[in-house]
Amino acid sequence: MSDEHVSMNLFATRLAKVLPAAAFGALFFGFWEWAVRFFDLKPYFLTAPSAIWQQFVGNFSLIRGAATVSGTNALIGLVAGIVLGVAMSFVLSRFGFLNQLITPLAVALNAVPIFVLVAVLNNMYSITSEIPRRIMVALVVYFIVLVNVARGLTEVSPTHVELMRSYAASDVAILRKVRIPNALPFLFVSLKIAAPAAVITAFVSEYFGGSQNGLGSRISSNIANSKNAVAWAYVLAACLLGLLFYAVSVVLEGFNRKGEAR
Amino acid sequence: MTAVSIRSTSKVFNAGKPNQVEALRDVSLEVRGGEFVSLIGPSGCGKSTLLRLIANLLEPTAGEVIVNDKPAARARLDQDYGMAFQQAGLFEWRTVQKNIELPLELKGWNKAERAVRAKEMLHLVQLPEFADHHPWQLSGGMQQRIAIARALAAHPPLLLMDEPFGALDEMTREYMQGELLRICAATGTTVVFVTHSIPEAVYLSSRVVVMSPRPGRITKTVEVSLGADRNEDTRNRTAFFEAITAVREGLRGLHAAHVGRGSDER
Repeated sequence: MSDEHVSMNLFATRLAKVLPAAAFGALFFGFWEWAVRFFDLKPYFLTAPSAIWQQFVGNFSLIRGAATVSGTNALIGLVAGIVLGVAMSFVLSRFGFLNQLITPLAVALNAVPIFVLVAVLNNMYSITSEIPRRIMVALVVYFIVLVNVARGLTEVSPTHVELMRSYAASDVAILRKVRIPNALPFLFVSLKIAAPAAVITAFVSEYFGGSQNGLGSRISSNIANSKNAVAWAYVLAACLLGLLFYAVSVVLEGFNRKGEAR
Repeated sequence: MTAVSIRSTSKVFNAGKPNQVEALRDVSLEVRGGEFVSLIGPSGCGKSTLLRLIANLLEPTAGEVIVNDKPAARARLDQDYGMAFQQAGLFEWRTVQKNIELPLELKGWNKAERAVRAKEMLHLVQLPEFADHHPWQLSGGMQQRIAIARALAAHPPLLLMDEPFGALDEMTREYMQGELLRICAATGTTVVFVTHSIPEAVYLSSRVVVMSPRPGRITKTVEVSLGADRNEDTRNRTAFFEAITAVREGLRGLHAAHVGRGSDER
């Protein structure tokens, strides 16, 4: 079979995978649009997709500005949370007693909406500061990364460890050649969870006061002013930002897999 | 030359605690250079523990273990032995060649030296075309051959194997036994081999050491007089069956003693 043939087939299989979801999406929005028109639903109850799109295009530069604010907060918090989470997971994997102490707590915290803490953080900084939101994002990301990477570093195959000890390998060598490679897939899985969580936390943090400059605060202020279609346009932007973060994390994971030639 | 010397060695796990287990009691064993010795016994008889004492992955509670004429701890640091386990234990993020190179990396060999040796080992286990494959692309038997290549990469004089063919099907297993004998003959490696298959122990070994249930002791040693040249016909020879019977009787005797112990002993 020629290369062209193979790539055509690959394209066809990918299309076959995407098509049902795309068709369902189109159907969903079509039904939504139809329902709003047919039942003559009022905009404060449900806004038509066409109206939302109109507002999205019309207010694009404002929306882009708000998305940049929220996106920057999410990105800075995400990077800080990953760095701290990875650093702490190394400490935990080195000291077993700390692991037993902190990991159950971290697992429990992952199940709690800790972003409400941003209300407390807001009191610590000036009212226009973005720092509380970034700290909040970093905290959420930190616990997700910590739990996963610490598992990757500690849950290594006993055979691998015995093998390394039979080679008289030092703890540092075992860390470099067994624990870190073992933890890499865990890091990327945690990234796939943490990236959308970072965006969500950045939005929700804006509901707790501070500058009215991000997507989250614009959604709430537009709804408060009964500009529902505009609010929905910001919701659309929020969805797109979340998807962007998720897509980047998926691509990064792909690179990692390619590194392993999987 | 003595490859392994185990002198009056005992091993107790969790000594002094409620979950104390006496794994080995007063075990003595000499393995000469070039010998192939199998340790056989019921599950939990401490044969894997004994192997780990030789490997210095465990410390004895009493007695001493000499490997390659030095204390086992020194021998481990000098990488005087290679080891293979029931799980091939290949690193899935490394290619086959990089897996074989691992012990050499830890010895500080440079890249070119490592590559030459890895290629040589791949030829030895007859899988030269798989250098750039990843472990999951290989069958169980092939993975185990790579694990053996890795264990022997640094040319250690001693190979320690813990049920390396336990997870393979019968056909692959017999093939692997033949391969192992060929590789050991080519390299002159001494082998200590843990198994609970009687035919496997007899086919491979110059000596089969039978161990008792916990606390593990050596109860019988069967010399296998099949010579050095062994092939599939060996499995049909009278001497093969005689050795199998001898080992089986050793294990059965243990079984009878074990069952009767409640009333006879104590």
